[in-house]
Amino acid sequence: MRILVILRRVLDPAGIVAHRRLRRLFINREVYIIQPADECALEAALRIKDAAEAEVVVASGQPEPDDDTLRRGIAMGADRGIYVSGEAFENADEAVVARALEAVIERLGGVDLVLSGATTLDTGQSQLGLRLAEALGWPQIVGAWQLEVAGGEVRAVCRDSEQYIRVEADLPAVVSMASGALKPRYPDGVRLINIYRDEGEVAEALQLWEVDELLTPEELSPVVETLGRDFPPERERGERVEGPSEEAAQVVAEALRQRMRG
Amino acid sequence: MDASYLDLMMAQQEETFEEAEGGGGVWVVADLSGGQIAPVTLEAIGAARTLADSLGAYVYAVLLGDDVTSLSETLYQAGADGVRLADHPGLARFAVEPYLAVLGPLFEEEQPEIILFGATDVGQALAPRLAQRMGGGLIERVTAVALDESTRAVKATFPVYGGDYFGVVTCPEARPQILTIMAGAFARPFLDEYRKGEPVMLDVEPAEAVVRLLGPAEDYQPPRVPLSEARMVVAGGRQAGSFDAVEDLAEALDAHLAGDRGAWDAGLIAADQIVDVRGVTVSPDVYVAVGIRGDTFHNAAMGDATFIVAIHPDPTAPIFEIADLCVEADPEDVLPALLEALT
Repeated sequence: MRILVILRRVLDPAGIVAHRRLRRLFINREVYIIQPADECALEAALRIKDAAEAEVVVASGQPEPDDDTLRRGIAMGADRGIYVSGEAFENADEAVVARALEAVIERLGGVDLVLSGATTLDTGQSQLGLRLAEALGWPQIVGAWQLEVAGGEVRAVCRDSEQYIRVEADLPAVVSMASGALKPRYPDGVRLINIYRDEGEVAEALQLWEVDELLTPEELSPVVETLGRDFPPERERGERVEGPSEEAAQVVAEALRQRMRG
Repeated sequence: MDASYLDLMMAQQEETFEEAEGGGGVWVVADLSGGQIAPVTLEAIGAARTLADSLGAYVYAVLLGDDVTSLSETLYQAGADGVRLADHPGLARFAVEPYLAVLGPLFEEEQPEIILFGATDVGQALAPRLAQRMGGGLIERVTAVALDESTRAVKATFPVYGGDYFGVVTCPEARPQILTIMAGAFARPFLDEYRKGEPVMLDVEPAEAVVRLLGPAEDYQPPRVPLSEARMVVAGGRQAGSFDAVEDLAEALDAHLAGDRGAWDAGLIAADQIVDVRGVTVSPDVYVAVGIRGDTFHNAAMGDATFIVAIHPDPTAPIFEIADLCVEADPEDVLPALLEALT
C-alpha cells in the first residue's frame, strides 16, 4: 500500500505583523512551518504505516521552492519525498498544483490513498485535495479527525454539524485531515541530519522532479491571478456602552451573539 | 386612501420575469439549515444580485433536497430571477456524488458566468469538484467582491490568517468563476414578497454516494483544544466579583475559561489558564475580559484577539484602551443580566 501525503509550508504567524495604518505586512521572523493540517495528515499516514505495511510518500503541494518541508516530513518517518520544482511552477495556483500531483501519482505508478490537510492556516483554502479527487475520480472524505485503513477500505471519523460521525469509502480515496486532529510526532534527529547530508538510510529519499517533464506549458497556466493585499480598517478606540447594567448586558449579548454566528 | 387600495396598487406592480435563453448568468447554489434556506444563501443571492445588475445578467438559484419545493418562494423574494429545483428523497442527506450528478449536467448546459456557494461544509465540498470538472477558477471564503466590468471578472477578497489582512485575487479568463462566500460578510437582502416565480423542476437520477455513512461516532472524544488555540475565551480578574458567574458565562458561550495573573494569585484559576506574556498567549475571535484591569503583560498576551469585550468598574482601566466594547460597570451587576440575555 502506498500513501501520498501533500505537504505545504506556511509563514509562522508569530513572526508577522499586519500593520493596519501603514497597510503593510511586516515579516519580522521569516520562519516557515508545515501547514498544521498537513502535518496531521502526515501523522495519520505514519500511524497507518505503524499498524500495517505501507509506503509513505510526501510531495510538495505549493509552488514556492521549498524542500525543507519535505525533508522534515522524511525525518518524521516518510519513506520518500517528491519535490516538484521548476521556474514555470512558481506562479501556479491550486488547479495547476492539482494537475502536477496527478502527474506525480501517475509517474509513481499509482497510490492507494492521498492525504492532505483540510484547510490551510493562512488562506483557508481547501480546494487542492478535492480538485485532485475530482481529477482522479476518487471519493473524498473532508475534514477527518481519525483515520484507519482495513481491507481495501478507509474509515474515518468526521464532524457533521454538531456531532461526530463515522464514514467509510473504498480505496483509492482522497482524505483531508482536520487541523488539530492528531498530535504530530517530532522528527527523528538522526534522520533530520542525514536527510540534509544525504547519508544513511534516508540517502536519496528526496527526489527532485522537474515540473516541465510532468506538465505541458498549457497545463501550467494558472486560473487564478493574485492582485495584492488589502488590510482591515484601523482599529478604533472601543465603543463605550452607556446606561444601566441591564441595557449594557443586552448590547454585549447582541454583540457576542453576532460574533458567534459568524 | 385606505390600506386595501395600497395593496391593490402594490399587487399591480408585481414583477414577473422572463428568463433569458442561452446560458450565462450568476448562479447561487442554495444551502439548507434546519429545514429552511440558510442565511448565507440569502446573502449570496444579495451579492449575486449586485454582480448581475452590473453585468446585465440574471440571477438563478438552485435548490437541492427532499420536500423543498415550498422553499423556492424565499429564493425569489430574496432576488432570484429563476429557480431550479431538484426535489428527490435521494437528496435528503448531503452527499457529494448525488449532488454533483444534478449540478454537473445542469451547469454544463447552462454555462454560468459566476457561481456562488455558501462557505459551508456543503459548499466547500462541492465547489472544488465543480471547478475542477468545468475548468473554472475557485476563490474560497470570500468576504467582499468587486467587478471589473471590462473583463467581467470578479475581484474577490478573502481573509488571511483569520482576518489579519486580506488577499485579493481574480480569475481573468477561466469561466465559470466559482466563489464560496463567508456567512455574515454580505448584507442580507430585503425579502420582497411581491417577487414571485415558477421554479423549474430538474430531472433527478439519484447517484449512489461513494462515501458511506456508518452512523454517529458516539465513543469518539475529540482532542482538547489548548487555550492558546481557543476561538473564544472568557477571562476573569480580581474585580470579577463572583467567579462562578464568570464560569457560567464561559459555559454559556462554549468558551475557554481563563484569567489574569491576579485571578491566579487569588486561587481562582489554574496555572495553565493565566493569560499573560509569561503564561499563555491567546489570539481568539472573541475575548471577554471580566473585571480585568489589563496590565501590560496581560494586554500584550491577548491584544491579537479579533473582538474584545471588557467589563470593569474603573473607567481608567488600561483594558479599555484595547477593547472593542467597553462596559464601565461592576461585573456583579452586568453578568447576571448578560447570562439571562444569552440563554
